[in-house]
Amino acid sequence: MNTTTRRKRGARLRRFIPLYIMMLPGLAYLFINNYLPMFGLSIAFKDINYAKGIWASDWVGLKNFEYLFKTTDAYIITRNTLLYNAVFIVLGLLIAIAIAILLNEIRGKMARGFYQSVILLPYLISIILVSYLVYAMLSVDAGFINKTILPMLGLDPISWYLEPKYWPYILTIVHIWKGAGYSCIIFLAAILSIDREYYEAAELDGASKWMQIRKITFPMITPIITMLTLLGIGRIFYSDFGLFYQVPMNSGALYETTNVIDTYVFRGLMQLGDIGMSAAAGFYQSLVGFILVLVSNYIVRRFDKDNALF
Amino acid sequence: MKNIMRGATLLMLCFVLILSACGKGGNGSGSEPGGSANPGNQQDGKVEEITVAFPLVSTSQQDLQLVEDEINKISEEKIKVRVKFLPINAGEWAQRMNLIFSGGETLDLTFVSGLMYSNMVAKGQLIELDELLDAHGEGIKQAFDEKYLNATKINGKIYSVPTVRDLAGSYGLTMRKDMVDKYNIDIDAIQTLDDVENLFKTIKANEPHVVPLVPGGVGQSFRENHVFVDPLGDFMGVLPDYDNDLKIVNMYEMPEYKAFIDRIRKWYLEGYILPDAATNKTTTFELIKSGKAFSYMALQKPGFAAQESKASGTQMVTKELLAPVATTSNVTNALWGIPVNSKHQEKAMQFLNLMYSDADIVNLFDWGIEGKHYVKEKGEADHIISYPAGQDATTIGYNMLGWMFGNQFLSYVMKTDDPDIWKKTAEFNSTSRPSKALGFVFDASAVKTEVAAVSNVVTQYKLPLETGSVDPDKLLPEFIAKLKSAGMDKIIAEKQKQLDEWAKNNSVQ
Repeated sequence: MNTTTRRKRGARLRRFIPLYIMMLPGLAYLFINNYLPMFGLSIAFKDINYAKGIWASDWVGLKNFEYLFKTTDAYIITRNTLLYNAVFIVLGLLIAIAIAILLNEIRGKMARGFYQSVILLPYLISIILVSYLVYAMLSVDAGFINKTILPMLGLDPISWYLEPKYWPYILTIVHIWKGAGYSCIIFLAAILSIDREYYEAAELDGASKWMQIRKITFPMITPIITMLTLLGIGRIFYSDFGLFYQVPMNSGALYETTNVIDTYVFRGLMQLGDIGMSAAAGFYQSLVGFILVLVSNYIVRRFDKDNALF
Repeated sequence: MKNIMRGATLLMLCFVLILSACGKGGNGSGSEPGGSANPGNQQDGKVEEITVAFPLVSTSQQDLQLVEDEINKISEEKIKVRVKFLPINAGEWAQRMNLIFSGGETLDLTFVSGLMYSNMVAKGQLIELDELLDAHGEGIKQAFDEKYLNATKINGKIYSVPTVRDLAGSYGLTMRKDMVDKYNIDIDAIQTLDDVENLFKTIKANEPHVVPLVPGGVGQSFRENHVFVDPLGDFMGVLPDYDNDLKIVNMYEMPEYKAFIDRIRKWYLEGYILPDAATNKTTTFELIKSGKAFSYMALQKPGFAAQESKASGTQMVTKELLAPVATTSNVTNALWGIPVNSKHQEKAMQFLNLMYSDADIVNLFDWGIEGKHYVKEKGEADHIISYPAGQDATTIGYNMLGWMFGNQFLSYVMKTDDPDIWKKTAEFNSTSRPSKALGFVFDASAVKTEVAAVSNVVTQYKLPLETGSVDPDKLLPEFIAKLKSAGMDKIIAEKQKQLDEWAKNNSVQ
């Protein structure tokens, strides 16, 4: 009995050998690219001295992490990072889905291609250029808004780069404007893969467009939505450095609403250039991201097993 | 455990080797012709290649390679060294340096910015130079007064050599000459900031489209270009009046600081200052060149007006507002050091020695190639040069800052400059008042958590406060409170401890 199962297993293994071999390059890549650098995590706990080398440098425990929690800024940067990303995930999803559904309704092939390209275009612009586009709008003495829009409404010019209260809106608008085109492609692909017969059947039964969207489109793309949301949550502690550093022109007066973990780390270490402390920040971000993915995946599993990532 | 470490290091090494092999494939074709072109040299000793990094300030440098080739002709003959330039955009300097060191890239000789110096030493990125200087640095030692070379010592060792240039600094105002003439301004009468204020009033009243004062550089505040204390490196704990019996204080709490930013705020409200000074990304030279600005504050030295006129293509005049003082920061402003990554440390030192003793090398670095980038003036002293006919600083293919490379006193002088400029600079150096803490270099490694936190607070408040963009009465107390919570006091205590120790070891009273 025992020997037959073993023989069976052996035969199965032999049959799969080509597949395993095919897996090797991928595994090697994964190992070299994703696992080997993990030794580098030790840098986060060391006082790096280039003369001694990475391995021989002294261990300093959690000292490299201290500066992240040192000041009252710790609360502000964590709050900013979390809130911005939460807004970006929710609004980003909603707007991308809306655009995808609208694009899907465009029948003309040329027209759809045109609109799709136009919406995607901002995603392809470098964030440095974006920051200057924003500057052209908001510049104190030459900006479009201060020179044209506000006088038209009879309002006084605003020093945009010195007033933190406007920036949550500005950054959100810029982020959505820049990113929505890209994420809508994924949803558009998902929507296009839905069998047309569902819609035809619904139309025969007299369902309105809105009903079709609610009862067919949404349920069919729910797995994609959950997946993208989970991935987004995994990166909730990271932020788009270019958006938060370049677009506000690194203006100190705006830090209250524009400082996020990445920019804080960058500014704090510009002068020191301490790789131990930067590694500590990266380690902290990925650890929290990892835990958040596990937790949110667990929650998704509780509600709907099929939609969970793992 | 040890075996695992060794295994991991080995694996990483393999990977690095594979990568670097890939990289070499691309460059190989470029470097080989140079080697075969000089077969004669290879008989008597091998020519070693060293990589030399320095910042590029101006971007039009299409002839860099030609200059490199000319320098190599001399250095290959004299010391069997071929140099390879690694020019880095000045704005990216700090980041690129960190990348080079964390990535272990080859680098044999590098410009060292004073702001990063003590930190680079603390992290073991630079090697000790004392022995190499004794062996190969004769020309370097001769170029200096010993007190200046000593000013670079950290824990009694020299890790970098300052360039020979103005080793003290005075602060002042640089103004457009055409407007100074137009309104008959007697610049010698400008002594205080009150006088400056009156001047701005005149300009503002008569030239409504010209901004009287713009920042001295992108991302710089006005206080940074009007320094009235010894910054002791990083301004985190300073020495007032360059003495104060070596008692360190927090500059941001000094009454002088408050008075200065109050004045800047007043100027801002009066419209004397560029409205977006806090976020401005246009260089000072561009602002001057475009006719938008009248003046800026800056760190000065003999011949500064001519240098600035050249850079902005506009005639400028300067007036000193704060008398020259020599601090460690002035001396260590521009240094040259040998990175720990270097595999040719002796050769690097030999080349560095040439940069301090060989006038041909110095002038290639500073001015480029004779006949192409400059011509000697006929009928003048031998060291007077000018641009070739029809060329100027903006059209020439090679344009460097002379103080950056070795011994500037060996450099030729432009016809438009003072022919005795180096004599005057030497005098400026010897007559300037030395700060009591000249030679003290702060090692921040014991308080780096606090330094990172304080850096963040400073970057947040520095520009808005010191460009007048926000109300000091509201924000200064907040700034000071935040500095305290970030650990400013701990940094000052540590700095005081090191300064006291330094004073004891160097018997400074």
